[in-house]
Amino acid sequence: MSKPVTIIMIEDDEGHARLIERNIRRSGINNEIVPFTNGTAAVSYLFGSDGSGIDHGDRALLILLDLNLPDMTGIDILRRVKENKYLRCAPVVVLTTTDDSHEIKRCYELGCNVYITKPVNYESFANAIRQLGLFFSVIQVPRSAP
Amino acid sequence: MTPEAMRRRAIGQILLLGAGLVVLTFISAGSVYLVNQAREDARWVVHTVEVENQISLAQLQLSRAESAERGYISTLLPDFLTDFEKAASELTADLMRLHRLTSDNPVQQHLLDQMIPLSDQRIEEFRKTIALARAERVDDAARIVREGIGRDAVGRIDDMADQMRSEEDHLFVQRATSADRSQSLAASMTAVGSGLVVLLAGISIFLVRRSARARDVAEEQLRENNLNLEATVDARTVDLREANDEIQRFAYIVSHDLRSPLVNIMGFTSELEELRTDIFKRIAALAGASASPAPGAAGEIEPALEGDDKQLSEGFSEALGFIKSSIAKMDRLITAILNLTREGRREFEPVPIDTRELIEAIVATVAHQASEAKAQIRIEPLPDIISDRLALEQIFSNLIDNALKYLKPGVPGDITVRGRKKLGFAIFEIADNGRGIDPKDHQRIFDLFRRAGEQDKPGQGIGLAHVRALVRRLGGTMSVSSELHNGSTFTITLPLSWTASKRNRDS
Repeated sequence: MSKPVTIIMIEDDEGHARLIERNIRRSGINNEIVPFTNGTAAVSYLFGSDGSGIDHGDRALLILLDLNLPDMTGIDILRRVKENKYLRCAPVVVLTTTDDSHEIKRCYELGCNVYITKPVNYESFANAIRQLGLFFSVIQVPRSAP
Repeated sequence: MTPEAMRRRAIGQILLLGAGLVVLTFISAGSVYLVNQAREDARWVVHTVEVENQISLAQLQLSRAESAERGYISTLLPDFLTDFEKAASELTADLMRLHRLTSDNPVQQHLLDQMIPLSDQRIEEFRKTIALARAERVDDAARIVREGIGRDAVGRIDDMADQMRSEEDHLFVQRATSADRSQSLAASMTAVGSGLVVLLAGISIFLVRRSARARDVAEEQLRENNLNLEATVDARTVDLREANDEIQRFAYIVSHDLRSPLVNIMGFTSELEELRTDIFKRIAALAGASASPAPGAAGEIEPALEGDDKQLSEGFSEALGFIKSSIAKMDRLITAILNLTREGRREFEPVPIDTRELIEAIVATVAHQASEAKAQIRIEPLPDIISDRLALEQIFSNLIDNALKYLKPGVPGDITVRGRKKLGFAIFEIADNGRGIDPKDHQRIFDLFRRAGEQDKPGQGIGLAHVRALVRRLGGTMSVSSELHNGSTFTITLPLSWTASKRNRDS
């Protein structure tokens, strides 16, 4: 990895965000985590002021996405990321409370790489996040195509 | 129109008809009476004419007798004698008839009583002259005739006859007038009666037409109301459907959104737990350090706490334990609601189902539990139906599970699944000999998260609520009959052929 992977965390619940971050850190991942609590801010960060996403052309990103956002649905963000030529290679991990099979199917169809339901059982939750951390440590994230 | 007014109108009609009937009867009776009267009058008029005729006849016979007598005296031909005898006998007969005819009239009787002796006397005179003539004493006879003996009697007879005739004329006028009056009375009575009947008929027709109009208006109103009602029902159905959808969505969103904070509560409770471990380690270390400085060991194992510190630690653990178990429970409930709403949104697909096969498959999956509970499950002949397979599986497996779950301890279970057809519906019964349900709990057991009886079995109080929701969606009903300690029978009524269009549209 020439450049360390940046983790973009789009999660409106600050508690969840904090728990996710803690558990990622516990699993030994020290990559930069950029948190967003709403869709608009995340979208403007991801796609830049011109909406092309060219700013991240040479960066390795990994997106952690919650589907229930106050201002837009995570599905929209997922679609836009996967339709963008600079961002579409970035792995997207959907991490949400929804365990509706239609929703899961839809996310995979749109190009989501991992879909994780947040379990209320904290052990499972922590476990899932830590495993995700392990996954991050081995995953090869390509730099976006120029 | 109010019912009061309608009743008044009906009574009015009946009164009107009654009045018409009375008038008609009256007219008929009057007419019959008057016609009889007129006939009677006419008969009296004829009678009068007859009496006059009879008087004339009597006079005629007298004249005939006289002329026969004269003829005999002048010719002595026996033919005249015969004529005379004939006239005399007819005169008597005529007078007798006259007497009979006028028996009702004392005036005529009186006159007749005077007339009869006179005419008898006259006939006697004639006989005398004839006898004289026969005795060859024609001259004497002619003399008697010439002298006009008895002329006086003839004059008196004529006089009386005139009197009788005038009396009869008088009666004739009287009777004719009476007959006229009767007839004109009958005519006017008929006219008035007919007029009345026509008037009543007119009123009746008017009333009938008015009520017919009112009925038409009412019918129109009714038709309109029906249309309105249908429209209202449709609108309400749509409203209900929307409300139902909204409740489904609401339940889904609420339960879903409740989960997010729950993740936090659980997460940070666990974080707190870790913090607690750290804090008490440190406390133990500090306490240990003050007593006997032995660092190094504190970090590895849970340090032994003493006195107040131990109590603090236990209090902490207890509080955290309650929080966690409550969260776990809440999570189960939320999951249950989510599953229910998800079931509510699943599209049902009607397929022909071999009910026996379906139940046998369910029984096979619970065979292990059944043998543990020493229970036997009997399946009696069941009607096949067209319905949603998954929903039916859930319904029956829930009920059979419950039957197995709530058997009486120590009593071998006996569970029967029965079925029959009735009026386009299939009725299934799942009967057990289990612990039964108190009748006061019969409603409660179908409520979400509610259970009945001794709470010695695990469960969320969801099964029956779910089953009932499914049965309702399949267009059926379900009920329970049970007593405490005497087993339960759950009855499910489902349409034999359920079509998706009926309810999927609704959900």
